[in-house]
Amino acid sequence: MEKKYALPSVLLVVLALGLVILPGKNDSRETDPNLLLSSVTEKSRYLSVDQITHRIIENDPTLMLIDLRPTSQFKTFALPGSINISSDSILSATNIERFNQPGKDKIFYANADLTAEMVWMVCARFSMKRIYVMKGGLNEWFHTIIEMKPVPVAASSSDLDLQSFRNAARQYFTGAGQKTVVPASGQSGEKVTVTRKAPGEKSGGGC
Amino acid sequence: MIGPIVSSGIVSAAWDNIFAVFLGMGFGFALESSGFSSSRKIIGTFFGYDFVVVKVFFTAAIVSSLGLLYLSYMGLVDYSLLYIQPTFLASAILGGIIMGIGFAMGGFCPGTSLCAAAVGRIDGLVFFGGMFIGVFLFSESFPLFENMYYSGSMGAKMINSVFGISPELFTFFLVLMAIGMFYGAGWIQNKVKKIEY
Amino acid sequence: MKIKNTDMKKMKNDGSHYLNPYLGGVILGTVLLLSFYLSGRGLGASGAVKNTVAATVNAIAPEHVEASAYYSQFAGGDHQPMSNWLVYEVLGVLAGAFLSGILFNRLKLKVEHSPKITSRRRLLFSLLGGLIFGFGSQLARGCTSGAALSGMAVLSLGGYITMVAIFGTAFVAAWMFRKNWI
Repeated sequence: MEKKYALPSVLLVVLALGLVILPGKNDSRETDPNLLLSSVTEKSRYLSVDQITHRIIENDPTLMLIDLRPTSQFKTFALPGSINISSDSILSATNIERFNQPGKDKIFYANADLTAEMVWMVCARFSMKRIYVMKGGLNEWFHTIIEMKPVPVAASSSDLDLQSFRNAARQYFTGAGQKTVVPASGQSGEKVTVTRKAPGEKSGGGC
Repeated sequence: MIGPIVSSGIVSAAWDNIFAVFLGMGFGFALESSGFSSSRKIIGTFFGYDFVVVKVFFTAAIVSSLGLLYLSYMGLVDYSLLYIQPTFLASAILGGIIMGIGFAMGGFCPGTSLCAAAVGRIDGLVFFGGMFIGVFLFSESFPLFENMYYSGSMGAKMINSVFGISPELFTFFLVLMAIGMFYGAGWIQNKVKKIEY
Repeated sequence: MKIKNTDMKKMKNDGSHYLNPYLGGVILGTVLLLSFYLSGRGLGASGAVKNTVAATVNAIAPEHVEASAYYSQFAGGDHQPMSNWLVYEVLGVLAGAFLSGILFNRLKLKVEHSPKITSRRRLLFSLLGGLIFGFGSQLARGCTSGAALSGMAVLSLGGYITMVAIFGTAFVAAWMFRKNWI
């Protein structure tokens, strides 16, 4: 190799070295504590069991349910389409790859709220976007959808709508015979807006 | 503007295909003008009479690796949105070995055969045609390879994490290695007898 | 054929010349960088072949595509294999290489081969080489550009492994086939 390449070679090495010794990036994936505090006090991270049930029935492709309970419980029963990640290994690289997909709403649930809240907090600290907690956990889901309480006779029409939706949902999950008309989506009291295509979606494969 | 532009939603998705045409043109121009339309120039790497492949390939690799890390550092590219080729150990190794044999026999790789065909090299065109048969044969016999195709999955693993170092430090070593290789290639090229092609 | 150490450029008496390889590499690297910046992905070539094959099979036997575990990933159903980023990109490659051929005076219809072998033998080996390469590129999920080069740009482990496997094997195999080349 000729001498004329000496300068470009040195330049490349300096450029590469510059990258190594530059001070660390400040976007070190961790959310500023003040921002974290305000998002903790704000309640927008909660999705109700009705909202989630809706989206399960609609086969919403942007829905990603993450079951944080032990595997044995997950095998016994889990919400359809959910994946099982135990809360202590939520930050392992393979698990993050599995669930942290930019185009999906990631919804954590366990039996009650506490575990899901904890995991939500850890993930929020890691600046993950579109993460939610199923309010009340699986206990609440079971209570609301499967063991539905009868509605008082003098209920409002939106309550009745909700009632019939839950009826239909129970039928969907348990196959129990119910003489209720399935409400068309959008008619029921709980309106769920579904974003089908997220802007931050990953591009496809290479060659 | 934070890249990738298409994922950021600044332009409509249709632009992606327009970018594709222009990026392809740059790709084809870079390959052809460096001499990748000549199979005997490409294959020179393996006999030591012309290291153009090593020089172009590794220069491109370090320029783009460095560039991406700098863009990411400056906040111009969201590295997490880039497509990182997932690693499937068994199929990557075996596929690479098979491609190496095809490379030595045909003297091209898919991109370069297309460039050769574009400037009228019939051998390039035939190589490209042969690829269709190969792809067809693979697709039809896929059930035979399905297990292997998916075995050894490691996800979108990055090579620096294997050594437990940062991407920046890995790229630094890559640059040192590439420059060493360039000097070595120049030295060998001077020793080996020239071949006309 | 023995030729003394002369300037390589002088031997190409057809008036064509090549760019300095490092300049070529910088251009290629910049295009690759732009590809990641604009589209979030690397460059490729064999993917377009895969899509064309899938589209052809889909046109002839759509039910076969639906049944196949491989084709159905990118053809049939809602997939549009021919209106794909990689297909547009490969059309661009053809145009770009053609332009470069005009600019550097290299447009010529010929079979390039070592003087020791016939055109026929060269074409036969081209076909076989293409066939084997095409097969391998599907197994490894990409070729030298899509898997190795683009993979290396984003430091993908798989990209590096494929690159080492391709070049390592080719060094050995080239000596086995050296009669075709030198």
